[in-house]
Amino acid sequence: MNLTARIRKQVSEQLSWDRLLPSEQPAYVSSLVYSFGVLTLSSLVVVIVSGIVMSAKSPVWYQTSTVGEYFRAIHFWSVQAFFFFMTMHLVVQFFMGSWREGRALTWVLGVLSFGVGVLTAFTGYLSRGDFFAQWNQVQSKDAFNGAGLNGFFNALDNGQIYGLHIAVLPTVLIVLVAWHLIAVRGKGVVPPYPIEDNTGAKVGERS
Amino acid sequence: MKQAYQYPDAKRFPMKDFDMVKEGILSLIVITVLVLIVAAIAGAPYRPAVTNQQVAMQSPLVIEQTALGDLDGSGSIASYGPPYNNGTGSVQSIAGFSPQTWWGISYPVNTATDDVITPLSMLASASGNSQLAKALTTYQEAPSATQAKWNQNLSNALNKATVVGATVQLPAGNYGPVAYMMNSELQLARSGLLSGALSRETNQGVYRFNVQNNLLFLQGDALHDIAGKTDLSGEQWGINHDEQAYPGPWWLTPYTFFYQVPPWNTSAAGDEMTAYTVGALFLLLMVVPWVPGLNRLPRLLPLYKLIWRDWYRDEKNRKKKNKLGPEFDAQLGQNH
Repeated sequence: MNLTARIRKQVSEQLSWDRLLPSEQPAYVSSLVYSFGVLTLSSLVVVIVSGIVMSAKSPVWYQTSTVGEYFRAIHFWSVQAFFFFMTMHLVVQFFMGSWREGRALTWVLGVLSFGVGVLTAFTGYLSRGDFFAQWNQVQSKDAFNGAGLNGFFNALDNGQIYGLHIAVLPTVLIVLVAWHLIAVRGKGVVPPYPIEDNTGAKVGERS
Repeated sequence: MKQAYQYPDAKRFPMKDFDMVKEGILSLIVITVLVLIVAAIAGAPYRPAVTNQQVAMQSPLVIEQTALGDLDGSGSIASYGPPYNNGTGSVQSIAGFSPQTWWGISYPVNTATDDVITPLSMLASASGNSQLAKALTTYQEAPSATQAKWNQNLSNALNKATVVGATVQLPAGNYGPVAYMMNSELQLARSGLLSGALSRETNQGVYRFNVQNNLLFLQGDALHDIAGKTDLSGEQWGINHDEQAYPGPWWLTPYTFFYQVPPWNTSAAGDEMTAYTVGALFLLLMVVPWVPGLNRLPRLLPLYKLIWRDWYRDEKNRKKKNKLGPEFDAQLGQNH
């Protein structure tokens, strides 16, 4: 088969505006739990914007100036919000069995985003430039060394930690989240499990 | 509205209006406003970093004991092993599986040279201190048995030493040049220059990003004392706690959990065991869709009934009303 034609067909279906920006959704989408995803994404936007401002200035700026400290607080609380909503999103999606009907990749990308999110936040905690950072640098070095990551990661090298935190890991995270979103929009949200009513008839199943 | 590439499920389920962009904007506004307000009211946790200068002022004995441990090789980093040196003291291994040793000595540290001899040579040279230069020469030229004797004598004496102000008072004894060297290290720390003398990995002094040796010097008693007081130690769920009442990185709870229970918290390879246990659990979470039993767990738990309760209720009502059963589905399928 013509590779170009296949890619074009896939892209025009999966990345069509009808799917990326739907103006309707299945009737079963009727619960506040569906907001956890968009709230996670919104928190990530605040994390990224505040992080960009902080990196545009300098690590000393966000520790010593009033405005810098405020941005550090914005970054801190948006990270808390990000993890809160992401955890809720993960738990709820688990209970919805949201990997069903061809959505396994969406699930895997979501879990990977969580993992990379944890690493990104950890390098951020090590970049705080305060006692908490110092302490967790010396504590975590034993974990990184013991796990065998010492070949390419030195938790005591602020240059490496900062580079990972502001460039490498966020890039990976943004790519994963974007891919996750495309996967969600490509397949739509998972349909409910069919259940039986008191007469034994299937309810909620349409196939 | 008919769409060219609508969701596959749109053919199976009734659809309703949805304004995704509006929902996104609203969500972003709510989160931004909330975060800005909380940040303004609560601020962010911060406890100033600890410096060798502070430690020298408050606990001069800690500086001398750490420096002596680095000089005589009894300190924990001196015998740590990879990635710092050839020691074995902190090499973790589970039944011979020890990835820590695979990469060799990636970040070499010779504690005697890096933490004591070189910084003191720099101090002697910078201050024109010929007595210190001579002490260093005497020490380096002495037979190792003599060095060990001086070190041991001083190590014993430091356990009985008294601190007057910020200076260490030693009982009389045969310490060779080592007592003077340790006192000089303490003076260097008090001046605030020791940290810089330790963090020497740099490109001609331009970038000083790597603070490895400084943190390795501080990591012993100096940091542990403060961490213990603020519930930050490993056995206190350390990383989960932040300053004062601020929430910490609570999402690391599954990780820190293993540091509280045997065999993870009793094994010498506890860090390695925890890392691989958590790694395996993470992989399991990732492959849930393909794990028999686990992938049916949400079906067995009733939570989905709560999440989709409106849908199930509406569907029951619709079926009751239409009493058409499967024909209703077929009809609906054609409409969508």
